[in-house]
Amino acid sequence: MIQKKICLLGGFAVGKTSLVRRYVESLFDERYLTTVGVKIDKKVVEIDGRQVNLMIWDLAGEDEFAKLNGSYLRGASGFILVADPTRPATVEKMFELLQKAQQSAPGARGVVALNKVDLLDEWRLEEAYQQQLQALDMPVLRTSAKTGEEVEALFVKLSSSMLLGGQGDA
Amino acid sequence: MLDRVFQQLDQLVLQRTEGRWFIAHSQVPEVLAEFFDNSGEPFELGDDLLFLDNFLIDADAHWQSGADFPRHSGTWYERSRSGVDVALEAIALTVDGSSILVIEAPGVKHELAASKLQAAREHLLTEERLEQEMRKRTAQIREREEQIALRLLAAAGFRDEETGAHVRRIGMYSEAIAKHLGWPQDQVDQIRMAAPMHDIGKIGIPDYVLLKPGKLTKEEWSVMKRHAAIGAEMLANTGIPMMDMASDIARFHHERWDGTGYPDGLLGEAIPISCRITAIVDVYDALVHERVYKPAYDEPTALNMMRELAGNHLDPNLFEVFLELLPEIRRIRQEIQ
Ligand SMILES: Nc1nc2c(ncn2[C@@H]2O[C@H](COP(=O)(O)OP(=O)(O)OP(=O)(O)O)[C@@H](O)[C@H]2O)c(=O)[nH]1
Ligand SMILES: [Fe+2]
Ligand SMILES: [Fe+2]
Ligand SMILES: [Mg+2]
Repeated sequence: MIQKKICLLGGFAVGKTSLVRRYVESLFDERYLTTVGVKIDKKVVEIDGRQVNLMIWDLAGEDEFAKLNGSYLRGASGFILVADPTRPATVEKMFELLQKAQQSAPGARGVVALNKVDLLDEWRLEEAYQQQLQALDMPVLRTSAKTGEEVEALFVKLSSSMLLGGQGDA
Repeated sequence: MLDRVFQQLDQLVLQRTEGRWFIAHSQVPEVLAEFFDNSGEPFELGDDLLFLDNFLIDADAHWQSGADFPRHSGTWYERSRSGVDVALEAIALTVDGSSILVIEAPGVKHELAASKLQAAREHLLTEERLEQEMRKRTAQIREREEQIALRLLAAAGFRDEETGAHVRRIGMYSEAIAKHLGWPQDQVDQIRMAAPMHDIGKIGIPDYVLLKPGKLTKEEWSVMKRHAAIGAEMLANTGIPMMDMASDIARFHHERWDGTGYPDGLLGEAIPISCRITAIVDVYDALVHERVYKPAYDEPTALNMMRELAGNHLDPNLFEVFLELLPEIRRIRQEIQ
């Protein structure tokens, strides 16, 4: 079976762990329990009749207390960049991490998750960010780990794009 | 004895035999037992332990470098058979030429660090939320102030050449200059709203003076000049910073840098800077637009005339700033016709 490593990146409390949890276990928890360290989940996804074994690395959110360890990204075929537009600073952080990811895993495919779309009323996506997002050469999805909206699509889109990318099996 | 020390510390000491093959040098502590081979025979690491598999690449480089300090993997989690996530950490070090890998389950130590981080991040979230709430409130207040200012202007009416477009441009030109000068955002917002009210005192000037086609007599001029003080009084004493600024601007927008202006004949920097800014952009906008008593001058002509005024009528330093900002000023002029 094809194996692919993907990493979730983003500021703290944007919903990285929740997205994985929704996708892998179909669960959601309102409580916030920060991830301290790396948690790897696995899930098999079928893309165009092909089975892909996803190894999903949920990385601790980067902030002033913890920096992203670049070697965690090694061998990744894809990354999911997560932001929480109710907190504009996390959008900024996402762009910062995107650069880091592109340096550490140059061939990897990316997809952006603007998470917490169930709180759309509270989103504050400035015009400048919207333009930056549009200029990105990757899919941008509006997800909700809470309702499940576009969560499956997030992983499927990334997987398809990784398969097209023809990156060697990780 | 050392063996039991490691066990109590929930540490497992592995020595590399070759490649990814290791042999345990201590008893495997209970928490680690289900993840690591217990037989005492050499065994191969990796594969099912994905995180460790990745760390071994860094560890390998570390062992090869012969460095005499440990390299930590950072914490990761393995799901135990009972469904609990166990926090683990690996440390690569070289001892007497041997490649050693220590695996530990930091347990309580980890939980302490985690709860500290949890508290710190929750605190950050609360702070973020409060800050956002405050910003929202401030924006709301600004918006209300702006609404009131606009209504006030509309109520005063535009009876002479002072049009709605003119006063809006004055606000935006002033805003651009203030921003360029590095004013804090709240004051930048204030001048945008305050500058348009510079001539609001004309509400108190009778039509026969304000709208008189020809030259004003000396008495009529002194009536006309009263619009500065009238406006200032209208806007004074509200305790609202934006209105205080508007009151200043109304009073002093006809003061001159060389002290020959009215109503108080203030000199140089004694004239509040908000008023000096407004004076410059008010003159500019009047020159480049048509007025009943004059045609619209093209910009080079207008700027030449202003250059003559800089140093006597207008603040020469601010005039330089104004010149630097001309592209922005032109954009505003285009936008608001
Ligand atoms: N309303 C809403 N809340 C969400 C959503 N996703 C996550 N949350 C909440 O946001 C908080 C943070 O979620 P986590 O999944 O722990 O975030 P994280 O990015 O893993 O955080 P760190 O591990 O600290 O980096 C939790 O309280 C979640 O319940 C969502 O789609 N909608
Ligand atoms: Fe005036
Ligand atoms: Fe004016
Ligand atoms: Mg997390």
